[in-house]
Amino acid sequence: MGRLCTLAFTATLALSVSAMLAVAQDSKPIETGTLHGQVHATTGRVSIYKIKGRNVLRLTNFKTSNGPDVHVILIAADDAKDDDNFLKSNVERIELGPLKGNEGDQNYDIPAGTDLSKFRTVAIYCERFNATFGAAPLEKF
Amino acid sequence: MRAFLRGHKIGTAVVSFVLVVALWYLFRPEKLFINKQVNEAAPFAQNDPDQPTYTGTFKAAIHETSGRASVYRNSNGSLSLKLTNFHTSNGPDVHVVLAKSSDPALAKRSPGAALDSLEVAPLRGNEGDQEYTLPSNVDLAQYNTVTIYCERFHAVFGSAMIQPF
Repeated sequence: MGRLCTLAFTATLALSVSAMLAVAQDSKPIETGTLHGQVHATTGRVSIYKIKGRNVLRLTNFKTSNGPDVHVILIAADDAKDDDNFLKSNVERIELGPLKGNEGDQNYDIPAGTDLSKFRTVAIYCERFNATFGAAPLEKF
Repeated sequence: MRAFLRGHKIGTAVVSFVLVVALWYLFRPEKLFINKQVNEAAPFAQNDPDQPTYTGTFKAAIHETSGRASVYRNSNGSLSLKLTNFHTSNGPDVHVVLAKSSDPALAKRSPGAALDSLEVAPLRGNEGDQEYTLPSNVDLAQYNTVTIYCERFHAVFGSAMIQPF
């Protein structure tokens, strides 16, 4: 009976510790970087979190210009300039969605299977005028 | 031309109206003045101890220095500085100090750099993760650059400007 109690206690302890570890891992960013952009002043931070096996991009302290048809994209490059045109160039990109707002904290799902070792830059991109409002090279956290 | 316009008043009005609407739709000039604010919650519990308040990566000055410096606010209000993936050169009397990013001494690639700095602690190791306690009244908006500084030769090994997370 005593042995059974010890076993149950150990199992409970192991479960709770692993649950705590899982939470801790979720909220630790895996990548982060700061946005730069001159033509349309863009500032703030981008961070990527692994939440329940899915990658989520979060913008914080974020500010850019408002504009038509602005999107958040990941590009397979080390950085991006204001005048880069990603619709015509053959730089691979992944669409994360239309920009939800030009100010404030916001989250975007990164499609499953996205290779973050290849897509190293987040860009705030105006598709109508092919203008990069801002770009943030990612660095491992 | 003027006669044509006078003769086709309604047509001209319609064409100009369509043109104005098309240009407005294309450029959306009102967005220059109207902001769209969003405020989505973090995808995890708020005020999580795993969330840094500042972070930045090291850049080399005199010696190859790399890794990340992050500042965390503990539940008792104290500030911790963590160095991760850290690597610098070993040396005599090397300290972790806080400096101002605008200080020209930070970029100096020779000894004898007169750095305006606040002491954190002697560097414990030139490689590996390590944690230091920051003075609780430190102004990180001003002293915003974690610097690896050799006191003996007044040499900046490398520094990391930290920015709000």
